[in-house]
Amino acid sequence: MSTAPDTLAITGWGVLTSTGFGADEFAAAVREGRSGLVDVEGAFDEQLPTSKACALVGFHARDHLGRKGTSFLDRSTSLALIGCELALNDTGLVVDDANRDRVGIVLGTTAGSLKATSDYSRETLVQDKPYLVNPMLFPNTVMNCAAGQSAIWHKLKGVNATVAGGQLAGLNALRYTRNLVRRGYVDGALVGAVEEFSPHTAWSAHHLHRQLGVQVPVGEGSAVFVAENPDVARAAGRTPDAEVLAVEIGYYAPTGQLPDAGEGLATTIARALERAGVAADEVWAVATGETGAQPLDEVEARGVAAVFGGAARRVRVKELTGECQAASGALQLAALLSHHRDDRALDGRVGVVTSVSADGAVGAAVVRGYSRA
Amino acid sequence: MSRRVVITGLGPVSSVGIGAEDFGAALREGRSGISPISSFDASGFPHRMAGEVPDFDPGTMVRSLSPDEWGRTSLFAAAAGRLAVEDSGLDPAVLARSRAGSSIGTTSGESQVVEQLTAQWVDGGLSSLRPDLVRQAPASRLAVAVNRELGLTGEAMTLSTACSASNYALGYAYDQIAMGDADYMIAGGADSVCRWAHAGFYRLGALTEHACSPFDANRSGILTGEGGAALFLETLESAESRGAHVYAEVLGYGLNCDANHMVAPDADSIAECMRRAHRNAGIDASQVDYICAHGTGTPANDAVESRAVLDVFGDTPPPISSIKSMLGHTMGAASGFGAIASALGIDQGFMPPTTNHTTPDPDLVGIDPVPNKARIARLDVVQNNGFAFGGNNAITILGRVA
Repeated sequence: MSTAPDTLAITGWGVLTSTGFGADEFAAAVREGRSGLVDVEGAFDEQLPTSKACALVGFHARDHLGRKGTSFLDRSTSLALIGCELALNDTGLVVDDANRDRVGIVLGTTAGSLKATSDYSRETLVQDKPYLVNPMLFPNTVMNCAAGQSAIWHKLKGVNATVAGGQLAGLNALRYTRNLVRRGYVDGALVGAVEEFSPHTAWSAHHLHRQLGVQVPVGEGSAVFVAENPDVARAAGRTPDAEVLAVEIGYYAPTGQLPDAGEGLATTIARALERAGVAADEVWAVATGETGAQPLDEVEARGVAAVFGGAARRVRVKELTGECQAASGALQLAALLSHHRDDRALDGRVGVVTSVSADGAVGAAVVRGYSRA
Repeated sequence: MSRRVVITGLGPVSSVGIGAEDFGAALREGRSGISPISSFDASGFPHRMAGEVPDFDPGTMVRSLSPDEWGRTSLFAAAAGRLAVEDSGLDPAVLARSRAGSSIGTTSGESQVVEQLTAQWVDGGLSSLRPDLVRQAPASRLAVAVNRELGLTGEAMTLSTACSASNYALGYAYDQIAMGDADYMIAGGADSVCRWAHAGFYRLGALTEHACSPFDANRSGILTGEGGAALFLETLESAESRGAHVYAEVLGYGLNCDANHMVAPDADSIAECMRRAHRNAGIDASQVDYICAHGTGTPANDAVESRAVLDVFGDTPPPISSIKSMLGHTMGAASGFGAIASALGIDQGFMPPTTNHTTPDPDLVGIDPVPNKARIARLDVVQNNGFAFGGNNAITILGRVA
């Protein structure tokens, strides 16, 4: 079998959020603590539950990708396509006929484009005949639409996967990619996660948040990383922005039930550190997923405190991007790398990304970062 | 280090039968799971048949989950997972203490939940959505349901790579055990019949009216189907040490992407996926005894799939049959049911038939679809095809333990 390494080299990345467009702009926003919260009143056809959100108001795929081939794209797919484009523009990896079979795409999602799917379902209820739906829009209802379209757009014929993980999606996608690389199925992949803002997601979040007393605004965005087999990247002379040393995932129980997800997170972080060969006191920062739901955030806080005490710095990207659901983990990683991007003092330092879902899933990634300076 | 991985439990929850024994008997009989649609009002549709599982009563199948807190697709996954563990004979308490998790594939996740939310939107606006239903909508709940039902603390991975998703899930579970990250995994897939998919396939011209007849000259499309398919995986060493019945070994798999068109399949890319699967499994094409087809019954799929098979295997490929002729197209569960059928075929010595076959297609020279009657045969190596929207090709290779 393959003898590929068990780690990933990230050689470029891209972010599309209302907080910043592209790695450099996003990194600057993170360092300056600039929020992407904007006025969304009247920005969509449907009424919205709140007047502010971290949404890309006025966003149209055609403004970034041109008119050709973009008219039928749903919002999630558009965000993914541009995220992939930004990531490819940020890396030294060039995809051509020599390697396109060996480069894949792995994207995380909650349930694809909820708006595209629900709009499609709606047509079967409101049209004169229930079958008077638009066949051209049917592919937008499948959850792998964003990854499939991104593959077509960027001509990547390697393994193409979509993982539905909600809050865990970013870490699920990284872990899935790490397996593809260590097994030698690909030499690299665009790996990331996407969440769209729409009246549907805004209202869905509103109903859940109201029950839990959450005040965090809803956001959207995509974050995509170029993750490569470290040996392949090194042989080509590409220096990494980061090394993903370990990604571990576990499943415990919903908040308040047993087995306790807080203890589970501590176990999972410890397992990830052990696999990475890193001691807890070497970790400079923890990029947490804190959702604003107090019981859930307490679970995460207990898990993090059990391993790190109060020693490691917290990076809280949701203060800037809002609650981006499936894109959360990927944006947390992007925020961690933002601190590294032009700070040589942090070169070689190790950070951790943690995620916790209300269903009881927990995850941790251990990442060594480097500057571009 | 790479450990050998075997299948020791099967959990089919399907329109033709529930449980390994009943499902196996159905495949040998060529039983049809197609019936008039009852899960939604299909009266306005020109075509009104599907492969539903009307006998699915989650309350009698799951022990830990409260069925009213979960969507239909998660319950399919959890029920199938429970069945697979029972079939494996492993003590569930031992399993829950072990390094065990699940990977579950799907096309549309909790589609019926999303449809209920959409109906609320139409009736009362988005402000009227029920929070308990909103909570049930994320597709990640499928694998979570399996872990929760069985008390597993390993990872719960939901792979939403459309109609080849179960093969992705089986491949990932195999890797986790082979590489030592887990000792037991439940792999498979689940989906539910829904109105929007019925409408979408009809408008694509891909939905047939009464019977799905793959590889037939007059084939005219799919029937949508549903269900949950789960396979219980462990190392060969573990299975032998506890004296478990081994259905088959997972030899390997191949994945690639057409990167060409969202819905039209690509023969060259599918052929390349077959070669990848063979390489990864360490076999030569000539060793494959039977191919469990993707075989949707659309003119395009069966022609493209046949062309790829002839390209890889030459003029006399092994027999290739489609269980979708009996089950309909169960979407994300389809290649999971294919894997179960393949494992049963290896274990019990038969090839499932392609039913509803009346007229051989003169354009598919060399293709033997095992028409209408199951065939007794010793199967040592089986190839299980799965293709999907998005050009997501996934092929698993199962074999007899030697």
